[in-house]
Amino acid sequence: MRYWALWALLIVAVGAFAMQIAARMRLIAAAPGRFSSNQSGARLQRFLFDVILQRRTIRERPIAGAAHALVFWGFAAFAGYTSIEFLYGLGLADVTASPWFHVYRLGLAPFAGAVLAGILYLLVRRAIVRPPGLGDHVSAESVVIALFITTLMITFLLGFRLDERTIAGRVNWWAHMLVVLAFMALIPASKHLHLVLSPMTVFLKSPELGRVRNLDFEKEEVGLEAVKDLEKKTVLDAFTCVECGRCQDNCPAWGAGKALNPKTLILQTREALLAGTRDRKLGELYTEEVLWQCTTCGACENQCPVGIEHLPMIIGARRGLVSNGEAPEYLGAMYNHLERRRNIWGLGYDQRQKFVTSAALETFDPARHDVLVWLGCAGAFEADFQKSLRSLFEILRAKNVRFGVLGKEQCTGDPAKRTGNEYMFQELANANIEELKKAGPKTILTSCPHCVKTIGEDYRRFGYEVEIVHSSVFVAGLMRDAPAAKHPAAASAGAVTFHDPCYLGRYAGKSDEPRELISMFGDEIREPVRNGDNPFCCGAGGGLLFADKEEEPGSRISDVRFTQLQATGAGTVVTACPFCTIMLKGAQASAPAGGGEGIQFVDLMTFVNGRLKKDAAAG
Amino acid sequence: MILVVAEHRDGKLNRATWEAVAAGQALAGGQAGSNLSILVLGANVRGIAAELSAAEAQGVITIDSVVLEPYTADGFTAALAQAIGELKPATVILPHTYQTRDFAPKLASRLDRALITDVTALKTTGGVTAFVRPMFQGKLTADVVPEGDTPHFVTVQVGSFRADAAARGAAPAPVRALAVAIDASAIRQKPEAPFQEARQAVDLSQAERIVAVGRGIKEQEKIPVAQQLADALGAELAASRPICDAGWLPMARQVGSSGQTVAPKLYLALGISGAIQHLVGMKGSQTIAAINKDPDAPIFEVADYGIVGDLFELVPALVDALKE
Repeated sequence: MRYWALWALLIVAVGAFAMQIAARMRLIAAAPGRFSSNQSGARLQRFLFDVILQRRTIRERPIAGAAHALVFWGFAAFAGYTSIEFLYGLGLADVTASPWFHVYRLGLAPFAGAVLAGILYLLVRRAIVRPPGLGDHVSAESVVIALFITTLMITFLLGFRLDERTIAGRVNWWAHMLVVLAFMALIPASKHLHLVLSPMTVFLKSPELGRVRNLDFEKEEVGLEAVKDLEKKTVLDAFTCVECGRCQDNCPAWGAGKALNPKTLILQTREALLAGTRDRKLGELYTEEVLWQCTTCGACENQCPVGIEHLPMIIGARRGLVSNGEAPEYLGAMYNHLERRRNIWGLGYDQRQKFVTSAALETFDPARHDVLVWLGCAGAFEADFQKSLRSLFEILRAKNVRFGVLGKEQCTGDPAKRTGNEYMFQELANANIEELKKAGPKTILTSCPHCVKTIGEDYRRFGYEVEIVHSSVFVAGLMRDAPAAKHPAAASAGAVTFHDPCYLGRYAGKSDEPRELISMFGDEIREPVRNGDNPFCCGAGGGLLFADKEEEPGSRISDVRFTQLQATGAGTVVTACPFCTIMLKGAQASAPAGGGEGIQFVDLMTFVNGRLKKDAAAG
Repeated sequence: MILVVAEHRDGKLNRATWEAVAAGQALAGGQAGSNLSILVLGANVRGIAAELSAAEAQGVITIDSVVLEPYTADGFTAALAQAIGELKPATVILPHTYQTRDFAPKLASRLDRALITDVTALKTTGGVTAFVRPMFQGKLTADVVPEGDTPHFVTVQVGSFRADAAARGAAPAPVRALAVAIDASAIRQKPEAPFQEARQAVDLSQAERIVAVGRGIKEQEKIPVAQQLADALGAELAASRPICDAGWLPMARQVGSSGQTVAPKLYLALGISGAIQHLVGMKGSQTIAAINKDPDAPIFEVADYGIVGDLFELVPALVDALKE
């Protein structure tokens, strides 16, 4: 009797599971695009850290993350036990009497305790404490599943005390098996589908943060316009989302009170896919307002523990809008500048030439120079950033680094790429690559983190490979080479704070080098909230440098970041990206009367050069 | 014969037409009275024709047809192609407006004749007239002499010829109507009502002089200091973003990437450091003067004249000097 009953129940549960899974697999299969699995070493490494060791789950929320890890490891440990009990229950094989099963079962007891502790903590957190990242409503399904897991562990532990031949023992055994089956049937339609999908999703996530593939104009690709255009990985992402809200908690737009919530985007995608509204326009589904609020800082994607990639979807949808002439007005003006003047400001390149002449820069020649310095849009035109570059040149000259610049440089295309004007981006990229190939540098040095990402990673997809280094990393290297550098000025140093640019700290993963340079001179670094590899954006990325016309005071990302930096109490804020400096100085100038005073913004290169000069004077 | 094509909308003549007439008269070289005609197309254009008959010209020709109202590229091309066939002008001059840009290339290629666009001046040497037009974003100018069969089409850049330089005739030029047949069913465009941009409360883009204030003004109570200077100069008052953010001046007076883009003859920046977002909004100004306490302020990079000093001392002194 027991065999047949369990067989019948198993078939029902597996059937329910399989049907729901198949419906989702069909949606993935129907989606365009392909999964990529290049750089498998990097992918396996991430799999090891993020799935097996639960790094991303624990890192940001250590207690909840550890509780989750206990549940996860417990589940893994229980896989064999559950299989054995089913084989026994179905009358297929009985190894329950073998001595090693006994040992295994005993070994599971501490795991059961750990799972129990973990799940009860999570249940209390979800149902009673309710952090905002988890949403406004208590998810009934999550509570049910937590109770299921609790039941599984309790019934398992009771199994040690109850003889299976008694009624109580029978009931206990059945309770355990029934909960396993019910759990299985519930998984696909719930966020617990991440149990099945997230190992795959994590592996399939690009090892490169914010990787957005090029459009192929030969195939008349225009970007994502409707739900049916969403690519395979995006569809997989939507079903993998575990709704933990890390993306929401870390999103600067959401943090500044804007409408964009990366978690909502994913849930909207899932809903639209399941509802079968394939022709629904993405501009309506997500709303255009929301799509243009993303700074492409990458926090959502980088913090996601289950491998979701938000940026290909957001930028893909922007491309669809741009292709249909639906970009906001401020971007139209910037695109005009890029098209006509080949820089975001719409200024004439004679200004760059003036700077090149006044800074006595040589045209790069691989025979005479070690590195090519890429000035960038800001370096060519922005007075403030030019000061920082002059400092960099002084440092390089003092260290006998031979460098040159390109005679002709255009915007790398970063703002075009991130806002979805792919055509403009490819035009600029191709033009620059042609110049770079002619010049033939082995190493490019730049002070703009956006140029690092665009030249270093985006240009690679055009077949152009070059080593590009941010000035903070390069100069930190130079200082290390100097044997036992003495910094006699150190005593006069004060407290400074460092604002990590998203494209340096998060994208390039370089947050130690700038700090090394600052602390070298004895300055005390006061860390702001959100630093290192998870900084809070200044608000400029993704073409939003020019968007402040659309932004009401009070919802500006730059204002929020300025307040965070101010809260450190440091009088000097060191930055390492021209756009961060522009935004944060803007926030300072706009701070309510007197509120922004007493803070000095200094670019890292100017800071280092200043300290070196002080050293020289003191030494 | 030289034929100038007039442009008008809602019963009002576009003043660029007078500039085109001036260009035509310059090309006619004093022979306008016998060698220049003005063509007006549209529905009920008698009033426009009467206005233009004041010009020194051989005559004003009208093509009056309901099919030509509102403007369509197909309708204008059909009407002008027939009129040109009949009148056989040597040169057709049009103002380089959006409307002209819409149909002139089509008309020229329909007739397979040369079209020289955006002309800024005429240059006559040895009896040959060259048309001067900018190239490469205005970095160079080219002197273009048309070749091939006439008529040659020339569009003149708005503002390059002076409307008030157009010679007026001793007596009104005769107005006559020309009948052309236009097949309404061959017109493919279906125009909708013209788009009306929300009117700016303050249109700084038309201002000849602007006095702009920045954070250096310190407090709202000091705004009148700048206002007095603006009044003395007959200038509009403008501001950088922080001033408008703080509500010290309305948003409509903001200059920069998040405000208006301006190009006055004189831009006087008071206490503006010159963040790049501000600079991109006023870089087109003819003359930029700046007053700022900080000698390193980026505004001095773009300023033609700069004073490093306290605006609260300098501005009242300037106002006094202007009053004298």
